[in-house]
Amino acid sequence: MSTPIRHSAAPFSQPGWRLWPGLAIASALIVLAMAGLGALVWETSLPDMSQLWRSRYLRTVVIFTAWQAFLSVALSLLVALPVARILARQPAFPGRAVLLRLMELSLVLPSIVAVSGLVSVYGRQGWFTGFANDWLGASWNLYGINGIVLAHVFFNAPLAARILLQGIEGAPASQRRVAAQLGLGRWWYWRAVEWPAIKPVLPGLAALVFTLCFTSFAIVMTLGGGPAATTIEVAIYQSLRFEFDAGQAALLAMVQLFICGFLWWLAARRGLTASLLPDRRVAAHRSKAGSSVWARICDGAALGLFVLFLLMPLIAIFLRGLPGMGAAFFPQGSFSGNPALLDATLRSLAIALPAGLMSVSAALLILASGSVGAKSALTRLTSVAAYLPLMVPPLVLGTGLFLLFRPSLGSSNQGLILVTLINAMMALPFVLQMLRGPMGSLDLGSRQQADQLGVLGWYRWRWLHWPRLRRPLALAMAYGTGLSLGDFGVIALFGSPGHPTLPVLLYQQLGSYRIDAAAATGLWLILILLALFSLFNRLGTPARKPGWTTNSPRTVTEPEHA
Amino acid sequence: MLIRALTLLLLALASMPANAQKVSTLTIYTHPSFAAEWGPGPAVKEAFEQTCNCQINYVVLDSSGDILQRLRLEGKSSQADVVLGLDTGIMETTRQTGLLANHGTDLSRLNLPVKWQDKVFVPYDWGYFAFVYDTEQLPNPPESLEALIAAPDDLKIIIQDPRTSTPGLGLLLWMRHVYGDQAGEKWQQLKGKILTTTKSWSDGYFSLFMNGEAPMILSYSTSPAYHMAVDKTDRYQAAKFKEGHYLQVEVAALVESSKQKDLGRAFLDFMLSVDFQRHIPLKNVMYPATDLGDELPKVFDKLIQPTKALYFDPKAVTDKRRDWLNEWLDAMTR
Repeated sequence: MSTPIRHSAAPFSQPGWRLWPGLAIASALIVLAMAGLGALVWETSLPDMSQLWRSRYLRTVVIFTAWQAFLSVALSLLVALPVARILARQPAFPGRAVLLRLMELSLVLPSIVAVSGLVSVYGRQGWFTGFANDWLGASWNLYGINGIVLAHVFFNAPLAARILLQGIEGAPASQRRVAAQLGLGRWWYWRAVEWPAIKPVLPGLAALVFTLCFTSFAIVMTLGGGPAATTIEVAIYQSLRFEFDAGQAALLAMVQLFICGFLWWLAARRGLTASLLPDRRVAAHRSKAGSSVWARICDGAALGLFVLFLLMPLIAIFLRGLPGMGAAFFPQGSFSGNPALLDATLRSLAIALPAGLMSVSAALLILASGSVGAKSALTRLTSVAAYLPLMVPPLVLGTGLFLLFRPSLGSSNQGLILVTLINAMMALPFVLQMLRGPMGSLDLGSRQQADQLGVLGWYRWRWLHWPRLRRPLALAMAYGTGLSLGDFGVIALFGSPGHPTLPVLLYQQLGSYRIDAAAATGLWLILILLALFSLFNRLGTPARKPGWTTNSPRTVTEPEHA
Repeated sequence: MLIRALTLLLLALASMPANAQKVSTLTIYTHPSFAAEWGPGPAVKEAFEQTCNCQINYVVLDSSGDILQRLRLEGKSSQADVVLGLDTGIMETTRQTGLLANHGTDLSRLNLPVKWQDKVFVPYDWGYFAFVYDTEQLPNPPESLEALIAAPDDLKIIIQDPRTSTPGLGLLLWMRHVYGDQAGEKWQQLKGKILTTTKSWSDGYFSLFMNGEAPMILSYSTSPAYHMAVDKTDRYQAAKFKEGHYLQVEVAALVESSKQKDLGRAFLDFMLSVDFQRHIPLKNVMYPATDLGDELPKVFDKLIQPTKALYFDPKAVTDKRRDWLNEWLDAMTR
């Protein structure tokens, strides 16, 4: 009478542990969105749907929103694809690690800081504009659809490239070795290795960038030139805050939910198939594509352009923030105990670090519930629900949150915890995107083997997933934390209890004409974010102890990994 | 390691001692520029707390519209005792919620360009909307709204969106006041000069104007006071327009559901005292609601003095704003 090994249960090995926590999180998100929408509809009668096609204004708004988002996605991916491929081809060159950190930075920058940098480069008095007018003979005007798309590409292309790079680097090493041994040229390498690696990531990525651009607000207004550039988000704000027309706001929010939700549904339906080939440790290899001198020069030139595009606005922000930096730390000429900036930094970190951790945990639970059983509509709904925080307009979400959490808004400590929770929720879609590919990359063979050997629950996670997920987890943690650190919206939505966080401080300084101080705060925020991304990158790189390398299939094959 | 550190941090955060709340607390809903470290909020709190056995608790919401929205959502169970930071554009809508109480404050101390006898709202500061210009880029600014509209299109200005910003709405009312039914046509003529229409005053002032993107921005006639008094520069000045300037009055009110109306009324009364008002000129960069006499900073003498204060009754604004906005949208998107 032999007992199956499976019965000496590993912690959390019940299938329910994989399914229910993720489902619970997803349903909480759905309840939240419904509460927000419900509150709006409650205030007035149900909106009249025909308003949508009868009003010329609403029609133009919907069409414009979708059009600029579409253009932004297309251009972001067009920039991101070659950049990711070059970075994958050239795994070792000086400054690669710094470049990756900078790419991670652009998305989490508060928009007002980034826009100020973009304006210094591409605005009427900008460096680039002078160059374009004097040398290229082109008359460049930032304000209009080109400014909107430019800003969206600046924010999203680096993010897209980062996720694509992770995808390409996640291609099974054996496959890449075979490609290298066969000496595949670029086209065939793309067909055989790169495309299959990014194909499962692409639909989700496109949906993510589309949603981000679709719901863009301040950037569209600042760079759009006038009310002809109005997104649905602006129109919702207008209905709620200006016209007090809750019905119209609800109607527009539903349109937004429907369009973005439909895209996510499609992306989720395409499915994220786990790779079929086992990822075994193999000797280091180098693909032929990218090793010739000519290829390296081309790659270098293309990458150089991208670096310029990314770096110039950051340099502008740096130069602008520098003068105020001294005053920020030495208010009266001497170092005073606790300048407001440091205070705000600590407060921001106290919110952002737990928020990052929470969103990563929630993302893992949601992914786990998606890996249970067949791809039923229920699990698909779970994965789409996780993206709700991006699709529901902040004002609507704020109303929902307010109604649900209201009794607990008492003291400022509770307020801080709530802000942390919501920040975690807002970061969830991004974190999920970082982890989705690597989590699904455990091949079928290994999984079946693990099932037979009874490597389940905690052990399965510890010995099979963790070595593969360590780096993506660190990156996801960096994004989760960074997004919360740069966040202004959530705190503003709720009313900040007590003292300011870094972004709130920045806006307060702006509101009180403290332009230099605000510029310095912006720069400081960027430096903190950079430090944070570097720290997490360090944590994500396994120490090169023998015990670790056997567990980690990637350390050997990729000398200078992201 | 990381996880352990974070757990510690979380625990530390959760175990922070809650503030002992023995004295009565006056909860005030307000917006960021009032409550900021450099705004009047902290000094006012300190001054008022010395006169009462109480504590002021600011709840900072994003804008005056958010204050109204929060009040509506909470209805009769609102935690607010006082709302501070509404203005004449949104005042009437807030009154219509029926959630506010009469103030009973003696308004004879007020020193406003218009007569004020409202029973619910107490003004605490006021200012004129104006175009602020960079004297280095634009030595000779237009001298009237008409001249601005007639100027060649290479003169660029930055304005704010009336749907999202208070000064933006101010310009809409300003144009309407000066041009009446012709406002739409005038907007069309002005359109070529508008570089962009930003969401908020901060977006335009920080990202564009102070970056030298355009020589003129819609702001307040008092803005140069800050630059002169604190930045010590005369570079940024307000252009005085012959037609007059549109007036903004910022107000506060008592919430009907407040359980400490006496304390709330005491605060509204305190609002018109010198101890409150002296913080307005340089911290809120607006005119004080009462006559400060010699305490008014000298730089305020250097500001433009509009010949005429343009002002619509708040009720008219509430009735008409949607039509006027559509007129603007129509002119600007055609």
